[in-house]
Amino acid sequence: MGVSFREVTKKFPDGTRALDRLNLEFDQGEFIVLLGPSGSGKTTACRLLAGLETSSEGRIEINGKDITHLPPRMRGIGMVFQNYALYSHKSVFENIAYPLRIRKVGKADIESRVGAIADLLQIGNYLHRKPAQLSGGQAQRVAVARALVWEPTICVMDEPLSNLDALLRLHMRTELSRLYRRLGKTFVFVTHDQEEAMTLATRIAVLRDGKLVQFDEPRTIYREPANRFVAEFMGRPAMNTIEGIVRDGIFRAGDIACPVDRPEGPVTLGIRPEQVELVQAGSEDAITLAVDVRELIEPDTLLIFQTGAGALTVRTQKNCDHIEVGQPVGLRFPREALHYFDASTGERLR
Amino acid sequence: MNKSWKILAIGILACVLVIALTPYLWILLTSFKGRLDILSPDPRWFFTPTFSNYPEVFLGKDYLPLVLNSLIISISSTVLSIGIGVPAAYVFARTDFAGKEDLFFFFLTTRMAPPISIAVPLFMFFTALGLTDTIYAVVIAHTSFNLSLVVWMMRGFFAEIPREIDEAAMMDGRSKLGAFVRVVVPMAAPGMAATAVLCFILSWNEFLYAFILVAFEGRPLTVGIPGLITPHGTLWGQVAAVAVVATLPILVFTFLVQKHLVRGLTFGAVKG
Repeated sequence: MGVSFREVTKKFPDGTRALDRLNLEFDQGEFIVLLGPSGSGKTTACRLLAGLETSSEGRIEINGKDITHLPPRMRGIGMVFQNYALYSHKSVFENIAYPLRIRKVGKADIESRVGAIADLLQIGNYLHRKPAQLSGGQAQRVAVARALVWEPTICVMDEPLSNLDALLRLHMRTELSRLYRRLGKTFVFVTHDQEEAMTLATRIAVLRDGKLVQFDEPRTIYREPANRFVAEFMGRPAMNTIEGIVRDGIFRAGDIACPVDRPEGPVTLGIRPEQVELVQAGSEDAITLAVDVRELIEPDTLLIFQTGAGALTVRTQKNCDHIEVGQPVGLRFPREALHYFDASTGERLR
Repeated sequence: MNKSWKILAIGILACVLVIALTPYLWILLTSFKGRLDILSPDPRWFFTPTFSNYPEVFLGKDYLPLVLNSLIISISSTVLSIGIGVPAAYVFARTDFAGKEDLFFFFLTTRMAPPISIAVPLFMFFTALGLTDTIYAVVIAHTSFNLSLVVWMMRGFFAEIPREIDEAAMMDGRSKLGAFVRVVVPMAAPGMAATAVLCFILSWNEFLYAFILVAFEGRPLTVGIPGLITPHGTLWGQVAAVAVVATLPILVFTFLVQKHLVRGLTFGAVKG
């Protein structure tokens, strides 16, 4: 039981295929994040679920019931929009109460339910204000309250944190996480921010060009990316991917040579910047490269090298104050940290 | 802005104000003048006022029902134009369909021909319908030209309201129509008020169609004025009295909504 997309395709009148035979299934009570770059179809998928768009092919089910052609109001889904979409002519209280008023809930009941959700979201002091008098963070809380007050089975959020400044964003992210754990509802959250996805999701659906690329727990997505695209999309800075050739158990590309457990032939090697080890230059097994750029992102340091097969980024917590640009540095790729991708398709090789 | 510029600006504004207000002040004064003061060869700013022009024309010549006619025509055509034009404008603002911009432009072109060129066909049209010399003919004629204005202006106001508002209302439990009627329209209310006032003003001031379509029954104030040009001369005092009464509602309304009016007009012009 839960939500399932079955072979869902969405074509827009201008010919763009926003979703291409999407198959996705998840349970009630999960926090699902739809993640992908712009144009990947993540927003379309969430709007199809909400009923704001109709699919060209395929069907969407909630708890086994086909909702593909139901209007939004009959789907039992609450939604939070990126630009909040508050009713500017109504007070905060009336904004939150609106879904209840439409459902003809009694006056006393409305008062108590709006009060409860407002307290939960810490907006109880602003109920008499108009949306124009709220800060971005407060407005977003009101939007969340309005989406949840009538207790829908699913809450859909389309990039809800994108309009907030960086600090507030982190704060709201934590709040959402807490809210999810308290309410235990199903959340479907759209974002292009991999960090938001990692921290919030119980499972992440990575989309690209309207297709589902990987659907897994955050940890699996990070540790075992299904292909090169996911590998490079998750993690900051992005995973290093180096195209080279394996010969006699040694991977070679540009100035890089490292022992690997792979059969002969071309392969793309992947290693996360934080998993490259700094060792003595010239020591056994070490790849020695000259530092091209040094960036301090306290408490870590980013060292960027030119390898002759593209740039290589290393993220280290070691003190690098003594390392100058141009200075040779020894690097080691631990075997257990290496990922391999098919040189032509980019699929993960196991 | 430094001081001399400020003085210059005030000077220019003062000139504009004088140019704009003088005719109106002159009409106002004339409506309180006796026949001799009006016809005097040198303009008289100071005179002994008379209050006889107003009762003479509105009671003596029975012009009071004309005020009522003007009100009925203006209000009816405004209500009709808003009622038909607002949903149309919403569709233009929200949905994409083939030939949308062409159709929108077509609405505008209905106002491009000089009104007089349509007057005769319109007269024949209403004759065929048996509506000439009725108030309905004028209401319909006025609606026809106000409709394009409503569509033009309201599209801009609707475009200013984010699409997500409609969608939020639908997620909250409204149907598509419910979202429009219960949420979007109330949010566009200031713009709608401005548009309605403009429709009212245009209809209230309109002369040509009303003059051609009604001769006696149902004629509005504007058409009543030429009736004061008699074979024995023009009754300038009474003309002025009617003109003063005819401009009053316009003055009041314009002051009430001038802020929205300017915004609505420039918005349509820039965005449409």
